[in-house]
Amino acid sequence: MALDIDQRLEKARRPGFGIGLLKGMAVLLKHFVKRNDVIQYPEVKQDLSPRTRGVIALKEENCTVCMLCARECPDWCIYIDSHKETLPAKREGGRPRKRNVLDRFAIDYALCMYCGICVEVCPYDALFWSREFEYAEYDIRQLTHEKEKLSDWMSTVLPPIELEDGADIPGQPTKAVTAESATPSVETTAASPAASAPDTATSPAPETAKPAPGLAEEVKEQQMDSAAKPEAEPEVKRDPEGTVEEGTQAEVEAKTEAETPSTPESTAVTQTPSTPAEPAPAPTRPAPKLEDLEPAEDAYGRVLDEQTKAGSSPQVAEARAKVARVKAERALTQARAAAPTDTAPTPEPSGTPEATEPEQGSVAPPDEGTKGPND
Amino acid sequence: MIEITLTAWQMLVVKLLIILIIVPVGALVGGYVLHKEMAHMQHRLGPMYAGGWHGWAQTLADGIKFAYKEDIIPASADKRVFSLAPAVIFVPVLLLYLVIPIDRNLIVEDLDVGLFFLLAIGSVGSIGVLMAGWSSANKYALIGALRSAGQLIAYELPIVFSAAAIAMLAGTLSLVGIVEAQDWPFILWPPGLGLALFLLFLVGAMAEMALPPFDMPVAESELITGPFTEYTGMRFIFGFFFAETAHMIAFAAIGTTLFLGGYKPIVPWGPLDVIPGVLWFFVKTSFMVFLLLWIRFSFPRLREDQLQKFAWKVLIPLSLVLILVTGAWVLYGP
Repeated sequence: MALDIDQRLEKARRPGFGIGLLKGMAVLLKHFVKRNDVIQYPEVKQDLSPRTRGVIALKEENCTVCMLCARECPDWCIYIDSHKETLPAKREGGRPRKRNVLDRFAIDYALCMYCGICVEVCPYDALFWSREFEYAEYDIRQLTHEKEKLSDWMSTVLPPIELEDGADIPGQPTKAVTAESATPSVETTAASPAASAPDTATSPAPETAKPAPGLAEEVKEQQMDSAAKPEAEPEVKRDPEGTVEEGTQAEVEAKTEAETPSTPESTAVTQTPSTPAEPAPAPTRPAPKLEDLEPAEDAYGRVLDEQTKAGSSPQVAEARAKVARVKAERALTQARAAAPTDTAPTPEPSGTPEATEPEQGSVAPPDEGTKGPND
Repeated sequence: MIEITLTAWQMLVVKLLIILIIVPVGALVGGYVLHKEMAHMQHRLGPMYAGGWHGWAQTLADGIKFAYKEDIIPASADKRVFSLAPAVIFVPVLLLYLVIPIDRNLIVEDLDVGLFFLLAIGSVGSIGVLMAGWSSANKYALIGALRSAGQLIAYELPIVFSAAAIAMLAGTLSLVGIVEAQDWPFILWPPGLGLALFLLFLVGAMAEMALPPFDMPVAESELITGPFTEYTGMRFIFGFFFAETAHMIAFAAIGTTLFLGGYKPIVPWGPLDVIPGVLWFFVKTSFMVFLLLWIRFSFPRLREDQLQKFAWKVLIPLSLVLILVTGAWVLYGP
């Protein structure tokens, strides 16, 4: 590191005569001797990840012919026919029940673009992704799969994958909703006896200031709830088909059970005007003041030094320093725009008596200009 | 051992037959090596199916496929010239193999002017390329032919000068004599000069064979196949593919003969003398082929004007300077 950063940048840009040629040849040699992991399809098939999008399968018993999938499909490749049937009333004097009966459900895979909107949008979990992709046909008309074939594909659908940490739990309101409904719910679940002691001890004070860790705690707490109800989880994992919705229902029931003991307490807690519960609705940072911002060139130099110390290559360091400079400039212009009534930064220190006199207003330059030659 | 006495003429015929068999087989193997080396350098596998084991029969299958393609001659083409052009390109390549020594005693004919013969025969191919392009009645084929001819002429000189320098250092034009005059370490002596001459020869040879980065005449993405655009079937295979691959192997062999020590062991270590010279020759030629292909796959092609500038403004002055240096070395050096 005997060269300074400018020299190193220059060397990186111009590596010298023929070095680029040799480096190119070296790359090829490296690939030549490296182990080749080409998967020779069709003798060897690739291990596909569980979320691989292949064909779409239909679970007929779940479909209520709401037509959402056909409507939302961007390609209009789902063809649905149905008719309504009237069933007799369940009780004496009741109204006859109407039911939708699915006549035809076909997906035209010649049109399908595998976007998954139909799977996503189906409210009754009747459509599932499968990993199958080997269904090419000689005749394009064979690519329209009817109800029976789509139901056959259900045997290739995998059981649902485990949720990651912090994921939205199906059946529960999503995290965004819980944030907006603010801290009362956070505090109640924190105060509930089902929560572990250390969490509640630290919860009230930090939660008002920072809603985010509170959410994480809530989700962790819910996961502890679900861990406390072990029969819900393995049920979801073991049965491959059909228990997706059963599993979620079980989970929802488990959650509501866990929360019922806490509801009398929650009502008790919410009655007290929760003074610490002033939710900082959205943590808005105060606009940075002009004096606090560093000039753009300093930002460039600082980031460059940091990066080279951290061991980045010259080009990477230069690029990051440039980004920092642009950001600093933007912040400066924003701050200047946000504070138009501030006087322009004085070129001289305000200690000199000559400078203070003419600068009583915001228009300093003309006075200075006239004063200058006479000084 | 069965004693076979043959007259000189019969011996010659046998040797020519051997060449006629070995060269196409060598071209097939060379084509396979090309495909596989290119594939592995690009992190893929190359031919895997033809012949069962890693696609060894791929080029053979290609050759057979070309054999029963329709032989088309464009209506407005000059028929006689069109038919003769592939022969004019291919036969000199075969002739190159006549003077290359595989072992001390294994050579078809050890001509006293072997090197001169090589360089002269090597230039005949340019006429074939011009014939092919001109007789095709195709503007783009003609452009390809003219570019090719210009390139071949320009890059002959570096090859000639580097070969001449080697002849000066060895004191003889006979190829066996040149191999005998070399000692370990081969291209590192004379220091710097040997390496410079080798690189000069390498660049000139790549341009002579229209290998990338000097393949502007062929320029597959632009001129299709340049002068050979109108050729189909066997004419194409003989004039283009075989010629190119056999030419490459021939130049690799010439390179090992002139610079790497031919059939001599790599290191003059006693126990290594057991290994026959043929094997050393084979190893060195394989290395040269690998090197030529490796360079071929690494670089994009030079534009025609860059190509010509590089030849006339850089390589030829450099080769003249090297000839002077070599002359000085021979006269005043050790």
